[in-house]
Amino acid sequence: MSAATPASQSSGGVSPANAGPQDAAQSANPTDRLVLEYLRSRGHKSAEKALLEAIDGGSVDASAKTTVSPEDLVKNLAVYAQKSNRPGENVLRESTSVLQELTTMGNPTNIQNLISSLGSVGAEEILSVDPTDKQEGFRELEAWVEGSLDMYRPEFRPILFPIFCHFHLDLVQRGFKEAALRFYSTFASSLAPMHNATLHHLSTLLLPSHVQNDELAQRFRNEKYVIKMSRSGFGLLVGWLTEGVGGEALGAGEGFSGERGKRGRSAVMRVVNNHLRFDVTAASTTAVSPNAWEESTGLLSSLISQPSTSTSIPNPHSFNASKGELKLGPAPVSEELSAETERVLRERAMMDRDPGAQYDLHHLRPAAVPGVTAPSENDLLPHPPTFKTIDVQREVEKVRDARKRIRLEPSTLNSVDLNSAQGGAARARALPSICAYTLHDVGEGAPCCTFSPDITLMAAGFSESYIRLWSLKGEKLKGLRNDFSLSSIRDSGSVSKLQEKEGSTTRKLIGHSGPVYSLSFDPLSGSAAPPKHLLSASADATARLWSLDTMTNVVAYRGHQNPVWDVQWSPMGIYFATASRDRTARLWSTDRTSCLRVYAGHLSDVDCVRFHPNSLYLATGSSDWTARLWDVQRGSCVRVFIGHQGTLSTLAISPDGRYLASAGEDLAINLWDLGSGRRIKKMTGHTASIYSLAFSAESSMLVSGGADWTVRCWDTKSTGGPAKARENGANESGGARALGEEENNETSDLLATFPTKRTPITNVHFTPRNLCLVSGTYLAPDSR
Amino acid sequence: MSKPKAKAAQTHQAGVYKPDSVRDVAESLGISNLSDAVASSLASDVEYRIHQVVEEASRFMRHARRTTITTSDIDQALRVLNIEPLYGHSNNPPAFRRALPFPHLASVGPVYFVEDEEIDFERVLREEKITLPKGVSWAAHWLAVEGIQPLIPENPPAIPKDIDQDISKSPPQTNAGFPPTTPSENRPAIKKQQQQQQQQLVKQVLSRELQLYYTRLTSSLLPPSTSDVAKRTAALASLRHDAGLQALLPYLIRWVGEGVVTSLKEGAQSENDGKTLEVLLDVISSVLDNNTLFIEPYLHQMLPAILSTLLHSTLPPSHATHLRTSAAQTLSRLLTQHSTTYPSLSPRIMKTLLVALISADKSKGTREGAIRGLVGIGKEAVRKGLVEGGGVKVVGSECAPGESGPLVDSVMSALQVLQPPSDMPESLEPTDDADAATIDQLRNVLGDFFAEKLYGDKALALGILGSISR
Repeated sequence: MSAATPASQSSGGVSPANAGPQDAAQSANPTDRLVLEYLRSRGHKSAEKALLEAIDGGSVDASAKTTVSPEDLVKNLAVYAQKSNRPGENVLRESTSVLQELTTMGNPTNIQNLISSLGSVGAEEILSVDPTDKQEGFRELEAWVEGSLDMYRPEFRPILFPIFCHFHLDLVQRGFKEAALRFYSTFASSLAPMHNATLHHLSTLLLPSHVQNDELAQRFRNEKYVIKMSRSGFGLLVGWLTEGVGGEALGAGEGFSGERGKRGRSAVMRVVNNHLRFDVTAASTTAVSPNAWEESTGLLSSLISQPSTSTSIPNPHSFNASKGELKLGPAPVSEELSAETERVLRERAMMDRDPGAQYDLHHLRPAAVPGVTAPSENDLLPHPPTFKTIDVQREVEKVRDARKRIRLEPSTLNSVDLNSAQGGAARARALPSICAYTLHDVGEGAPCCTFSPDITLMAAGFSESYIRLWSLKGEKLKGLRNDFSLSSIRDSGSVSKLQEKEGSTTRKLIGHSGPVYSLSFDPLSGSAAPPKHLLSASADATARLWSLDTMTNVVAYRGHQNPVWDVQWSPMGIYFATASRDRTARLWSTDRTSCLRVYAGHLSDVDCVRFHPNSLYLATGSSDWTARLWDVQRGSCVRVFIGHQGTLSTLAISPDGRYLASAGEDLAINLWDLGSGRRIKKMTGHTASIYSLAFSAESSMLVSGGADWTVRCWDTKSTGGPAKARENGANESGGARALGEEENNETSDLLATFPTKRTPITNVHFTPRNLCLVSGTYLAPDSR
Repeated sequence: MSKPKAKAAQTHQAGVYKPDSVRDVAESLGISNLSDAVASSLASDVEYRIHQVVEEASRFMRHARRTTITTSDIDQALRVLNIEPLYGHSNNPPAFRRALPFPHLASVGPVYFVEDEEIDFERVLREEKITLPKGVSWAAHWLAVEGIQPLIPENPPAIPKDIDQDISKSPPQTNAGFPPTTPSENRPAIKKQQQQQQQQLVKQVLSRELQLYYTRLTSSLLPPSTSDVAKRTAALASLRHDAGLQALLPYLIRWVGEGVVTSLKEGAQSENDGKTLEVLLDVISSVLDNNTLFIEPYLHQMLPAILSTLLHSTLPPSHATHLRTSAAQTLSRLLTQHSTTYPSLSPRIMKTLLVALISADKSKGTREGAIRGLVGIGKEAVRKGLVEGGGVKVVGSECAPGESGPLVDSVMSALQVLQPPSDMPESLEPTDDADAATIDQLRNVLGDFFAEKLYGDKALALGILGSISR
């Protein structure tokens, strides 16, 4: 995929077509004089006189300001022409037909001159504001695309969308609201399946000022829309734009040959020249897959920051390649800590007289994942030089978890007939056990719900601005009393005496003043002990740290100007990241109230944030339809993932550190290779928003939960793709795949679907031992 | 603002927020001479702003993990857009009501408003019925165990694909309700319509589980050609013993009734119809057997089905005898169970049967059915109908001499109900005086045909005669 060569190619290819009007525009200064002459010689209707007066005024204005360009003048003329005669567009059509009439009749030379000059600039420009032109032009383009050869059609289709958008914006900007609405209603339906969100947004723009102020519209205006095309396809397009040849649908008749056809084409060409950029590949046409289309088409230049000097076509792959290799291996564990962990493990093995415990030591050092570089100690975020007891406990527990883990091997499902006896066993080996925690009687809703790493606690954030904590083990949650004298505290024992005498298994944490959108338990104690801290993010633009010893709010981190959508601890504790509506993600450390890093670059809300397991990188998902990977320390964007066709809702990074899974409002889950930044596959099957994703401990399986009240299991290692017509039996294994035929958008890597009664799944969580926990809020059928 | 002008503006404007609304607002602020252009562009702008707010609110909705926008989302959106929030909209429950249509302005379209209930504070305080809502609670259950979803109440019922479709789509295409043998063209149409109606009724009232049960039950019972015997037996057993089917009863009975009517309507000559009727009778008797069901209110709906089967003139030849016998048995069971609580029941049935037996130009089938029915009702009914009412005479007069067949057999067996045949029959001797008198009497009562048949058994004949005189 060469990005540099096509650039020159494309501009070279199109510019000759563009040259005509440009050149003529140079010599347009006498135009106004010619216009006056021409109108003076006409004057057979009073209406035309009014027009004349209007133009007089316009030309006076123009002459007063010498800097007025001929194009502006002509546009002004057009506006006057429109105003002088009542019914908007009609007058234009009339006047242009008059022009055409005039060209056919013999006329005085000065008028011929006028017409010729108008023909090159004036008429062209005047007609360019005729709304019917756009309609005609787009209809022709659509007919041409649909009438093209099968092999080119997928390549040409993407061109329709940007041209539609620009025509629509042009119409709105020129004030032809009705024409714009008509244009939209005529053509939007054919583009709707792919671009529904954008189209709807554009349809809300109704006045020129909206176009000026709307962000998306301005992006369309100011950025080049990149379209990928093969060389031969591009040649055909240029041929059509200039000559109107080829691709004519059968029975389309003289559609392209007439004057209107030419004008329509020139309108298309204007957009092509000004707003489109063709990424012409040398590859044959068949190689451009729909995936490539999703990844390398669109308004890319602002998504991919480039040095201003660079003239190459923005391409996510070249951007990702330019950022160099990533260190995706597991984080190193300090020598002392691992030695101590080993000692504890040996001791425990002796005490338990457990011969299997010897095996534990193999798990102690994380096996290097082949093909990725592991970071060194120096690459990590700064952390305390010594380790604590809890660190050893955590590492020990990690080893024990690794040994006791239920191994999930989805690949075994592929080879076995699921209805046979072995099929059941294969399922058991491949698919997880899922425990669902359902919240009942939730008032306005619980946007988030999360489990502590040792699954002793569950916390839910509510729309009513509070957080509720539950002990899943049924223990009493006790804070500390407030009525004590400082002098009485001498050691840790006396602190624990301050614990409240009574408590319940649930606890309400109050402090936020807006809906709580995200919660995160601190990972420091791992699965060894209950966490000590909880982080929360809320619509009140703060993130808060809660101590689970005192059950109170400790710090409020202010800095974001807008609601904070997501918060997550770094894998080693101490640091955490937030994602906000203010288009930034930020890095914080718990001991400072101001942020350490701001990750800016997204063009819209940052909706979700996840740390890479070695804490070197941070992944963010945004409403600008992209996900990004940031270097935590440098604060620079190192990968951009383009391919979603909607807002991203959630992310997950695999525990082995190699993959990123992202889910979007396009109801797809994309799996990305972090190292190359390329998309591995797209997994579809959900029928409503996806709220949460989680990888199994071996990274072999992805579990997703969403608003369609289902939990779905995906095989990350299989190739995916559209579901093959599987044998009936294999498809319907044990009632798990209970959904009907109509959902044929399921890709073949969907292993199982587990519906709940009426519970949207807001959180999916894998324990280190591969038990899957999901949580959600039960929607009573009568509510709403 | 003149009317035609407003109308013209209407046609130009395609948006949601109409220039008229702007003009109304302007008038309320004391600006009366708002020009069309201003109103229309203001309307466009207002619409754009509304969309802006809604787009922003939808982000809050998404992050709140909801799929419906609430007023709080709008509030949040207004806040971040730096607009003063709209106060006074409580979050729950968002009860929007539709206003009555304006008769004078047809073009306005539906208007919705928030139901704002007036609360009398004093009354609320006096009543002291303020209850705190139950707090949030959680419950855990296994959604899947090693990849298999356990069938527990917390999980949705596992639904095989085809049935799921039947329920989700209201016009059931392949719902096996009736035998697929469709000789005529109009029949499937009628049938489908009936099914649809029935399906809709079922949908409205029944819980999803019962609906499922109903669909599966009916599909395993009928058509008899496709459903296998084991399934059918299981279904009948379930009907016979399972509790909790009360809600289903009206639908089941209706289903049976319609099944009987459809089968009989076409003359009921095919083997299939016979089987269908047989199954339907089984269903009725199963329902009668089930002592958890309160069946009395539905008796009058069940009887037509039974009586039609019993008395229909032409039942499929292969099944006729069996069908009539079992219908009679069902009838007798029904009467023994319910005649105590419903005293007028047996007289009414008796009357029906008698009419079928005695009145002119009834087919042999009907007569046979009537006789079997009378036997089912009991000895007394046989006596009254056959002997006293002259049923045997009528039948006998229709029979050619020397004829035999189900009808004759049925009469004979009915007569034997009155007096069990003796083991060692002693024939009547016409030469004997006493016997001759008996023969005369027999001929009188039963007619020649059947009197002759009774010559062989003196005891029987005397018994029958004795039953009359008694």
